[in-house]
Amino acid sequence: MISVKNLCKQFDTTKVLDNISTDIEKGDKVAIIGPSGSGKSTFLRCLNLLEEPSKGEIWFEGQLITDPNVNINKIREKMGMVFQNFNLFANKTVLDNITLAPVKLGLMSKSEATDKAMELLTRVNLRDKAYVYPASLSGGQKQRIAIVRSLAMNPDVMLFDEPTSALDPEMVGEVLEVIKGLAETGMTMVIVTHEMGFAREVSNRVMFIDEGIIMEENTPDKLFNDPQSKRLKEFLSKVL
Amino acid sequence: MNEIQTKFYNAFIVKDRWLLYFKGLGVTMEIAVIAGIIGIVIGCIIALMKLSEPKKGHKHTIWWTIATVYVDIIRGTPAVLQLLIMWFIVFSSSNNGVLVASLSFGINSGAYVSEIIRAGILAVDRGQTEAGRSLGLTRGQTMKEIVLPQAIKNVLPPIGNEFITLIKETAIVGYVSLSDLTRVASQISSRTYEAFMPLIGAAVIYFVIIKVLTLLLEALERRLRKSDLR
Repeated sequence: MISVKNLCKQFDTTKVLDNISTDIEKGDKVAIIGPSGSGKSTFLRCLNLLEEPSKGEIWFEGQLITDPNVNINKIREKMGMVFQNFNLFANKTVLDNITLAPVKLGLMSKSEATDKAMELLTRVNLRDKAYVYPASLSGGQKQRIAIVRSLAMNPDVMLFDEPTSALDPEMVGEVLEVIKGLAETGMTMVIVTHEMGFAREVSNRVMFIDEGIIMEENTPDKLFNDPQSKRLKEFLSKVL
Repeated sequence: MNEIQTKFYNAFIVKDRWLLYFKGLGVTMEIAVIAGIIGIVIGCIIALMKLSEPKKGHKHTIWWTIATVYVDIIRGTPAVLQLLIMWFIVFSSSNNGVLVASLSFGINSGAYVSEIIRAGILAVDRGQTEAGRSLGLTRGQTMKEIVLPQAIKNVLPPIGNEFITLIKETAIVGYVSLSDLTRVASQISSRTYEAFMPLIGAAVIYFVIIKVLTLLLEALERRLRKSDLR
């Protein structure tokens, strides 16, 4: 579904990603772990071109999206993204946050989008928050709504950029539950996370990114129980 | 009649002179309001030009360059000189003085307003734009639906300030012999050989107008802040 070939990303003179290649298949749940500053968030943000790759190719559903002639907005409709800081639109109610894109992009009528939003809000137990503004919500509620906002577009893949890192500890659980539930529906997902237990439980593949390369990649079982590289062993000994 | 009463009488009452002050105030406000509107329109355009996204490999767009040159020139020359240039060179054949002055002040104010608007847009969290774009919205849609409505809150108070500055700045239209409030006061003082009453009178009128505006602005700011908490 997503195919990455020799992806490089450079900020001025700093090399952040160094020749990364990988394939993500339909239904995959890929967890990306690694120390901060390793390039894992940059990698994720390159997948929907929020960061522009310096070199390399990214293919999505058979289309070369790094081609400058491609309409990236059309591609992004199919790639949901959830941010560390939620990024709910501060000037819109929860319901308008969810329905804005599907309606503006002509994918749904206002009433279809509203029905869909209400159904999704019910699924994350936040139906009663439909008409409030984001400022009055807790972090966990904001993130669940951010997930719903992406899902309302009926994406083919969901990208999660450290979805629980900005949350108070007691709110991490409610957000992880929603992501787990989503994984069970068969959604293709790429998740950058510091929650090792969660990565282990929800993913079928784990990538360890360090110094801008995929140092190690394996099934969660093998990667966590039998790490090969010295860097991964060090990393796991610190975080587990 | 004692001396003060005579002075007051000469400055305001005789020959209905008080009417002249109000006519002058009318000219002042007319220029300020038209210039304010022109300034906001130009300011928006210039701000968007400055924020236009360069093509790959380029540092700035041509729009950025034009806007930057404009702001540099306007900020780098005195407003009086800009007014004189507009009056005696660019529109030397025009006979609508108020309009030429308004245009001159509007072009001047636009440069300052553009910087206010640009700062207001940049103050909106980048994550808001990223979230919009990640959903497939275009740059324009994200700007219109998400960034600009939030930027307006940042921008309104300093724009109000700019308008207050503008009202006072129009006092230089005396240079091109338009009868605004300041010029009326100085003409009356030269006719009565008495400066105190007309000049202080004009100052009081400016002060009252601007005090009222300031109070309105403060009320507006309080309302905007309240809606942050919701």
